[in-house]
Amino acid sequence: MAKKPTEGEHGHRPPAPMVDEVSDFEVLEMAVRELAIEKGLFSAEDHRRWTEYMDTLGPLPAARLVAKAWLDPAYKKLAVTDGVKASLQVGIDWVNSMPTNFGTPSDYCNLRVLEDTPKLKHVVVCTLCSCYPRPILGQSPEWYRTPNYRRRLVRWPRQVLAEFGLQLPPDVDVRVEDSNQKSRFIVLPMRPAGTEGWTEDQLAEIVTRDCLIGVAVPKPGVTANAKRPVHPAVHPVHHDH
Amino acid sequence: MSKSHHDRTHHVKKATGKGDPQCFKGEAGPPKFKVGDHVRIKDLPDLFYTRCQVYTRGAPCTVAALVYESPAAEDEAWDNTDKPEWFYSLIFRQKDLWPDYPEAYANDTVETELSERWLEKA
Amino acid sequence: MSSRNKLMKHFQLVGQLQPALHAPQHAPYPDTIDHAHYRAYLRSSHDVGGEPDVPITWEEKEEEQWEHNTFVTCECLAWRGVWNAEERRRRQNVDLGQTIYLGLPYYGRWLLTAARILVDKQYITLTELNNKIDEVRKRYE
Repeated sequence: MAKKPTEGEHGHRPPAPMVDEVSDFEVLEMAVRELAIEKGLFSAEDHRRWTEYMDTLGPLPAARLVAKAWLDPAYKKLAVTDGVKASLQVGIDWVNSMPTNFGTPSDYCNLRVLEDTPKLKHVVVCTLCSCYPRPILGQSPEWYRTPNYRRRLVRWPRQVLAEFGLQLPPDVDVRVEDSNQKSRFIVLPMRPAGTEGWTEDQLAEIVTRDCLIGVAVPKPGVTANAKRPVHPAVHPVHHDH
Repeated sequence: MSKSHHDRTHHVKKATGKGDPQCFKGEAGPPKFKVGDHVRIKDLPDLFYTRCQVYTRGAPCTVAALVYESPAAEDEAWDNTDKPEWFYSLIFRQKDLWPDYPEAYANDTVETELSERWLEKA
Repeated sequence: MSSRNKLMKHFQLVGQLQPALHAPQHAPYPDTIDHAHYRAYLRSSHDVGGEPDVPITWEEKEEEQWEHNTFVTCECLAWRGVWNAEERRRRQNVDLGQTIYLGLPYYGRWLLTAARILVDKQYITLTELNNKIDEVRKRYE
């Protein structure tokens, strides 16, 4: 991975950019990565393998876990009692799917699936950093990482959820899950009306990332997160490996 | 230059094929608390690092689950892994955390995980 | 044990302690730091749950290539035993101090911490790091 900009391995760096186009962060990132490799702390191959592993991640396995749980009560029971075991059936091995054979260092291996009921709605935050179940859900959205979300959700959850477009009636209790140690969480929301007879594929499509964090609920016909402004990257990551 | 004396292998040896926190299973001894116990969060000194949120200190809560055994974050943050503790999933009433929480939503709750050192009988 | 009432006041005080670029008085006299101020200054900067804040627009963000590389570098450092995730979180969310914690981008903190661990654990010297930074910068001149 340690390449000069003119020989960018994946073609994602413009050749010889002007000096003011290279940020201090980009310079330091290259310096740290190259030094770590030169000192043998990890190899360029390690870095490449981890990058490739990251490219395989996204919310689809978690959406499929929810869809399966909606269709199969026995699987739902497994999901809420042993999220790690249930993940195997959607292709995620929390210990061995990744380049290590001990899980990802930052996500650990203890998925918990939080089951919503007609009277209880879960929503996830990490007030201390931004713990997130990457192996089954991909990278966290930027808003989830903001101090603002982390400050307010745990104390003013109904107001924050309303800002996400989710108005909850008073007879539905809100449970904020503050993910602060080694467990990671996804929400198993209620299956919405109007999905009777749907297949697992159809159901999985309406379980968006936001539904799995808990700031939205699945609705027939809604297969994407709510539209929000997108802050563009100067040199965006390319997933073309 | 190779002055570093840090053991880079202990975690990979312990956790390979098992995962973390699974690799600490059975190392914490008998748990002090059980599901359903009413406990309170101690306001212990927390110089330099903790993962016990200040908003929980002194607040009553209920043990929802014994989730795993692991070194406490305060130890593991300096790579000390000799003394795993039980970790508990705890449920707090929002009203017990924030005095200004609306009465209309008295059953709203927060759930979070803390290691045994932070808990005492309510 | 602090009373819950005192803790609620603590949340107000830490809001006022958020770094101000124009702070006029630094390194105060010891007798001006009471228990409340000691606790507020020593608060782990990552422990933001419950701090007052105003609504903002929720946005998505495209990831920079360096941000992605930084995440992967940090995971590789843990994979190969240079640090564990708790050590990383302590360093990047608390040790950097509140000004950097609140003032730099999310992955900026990851990156500074990855640099720092190499120096602190003596895998590289600070001189080597600075020389490498200089060398990388020159590639773009």
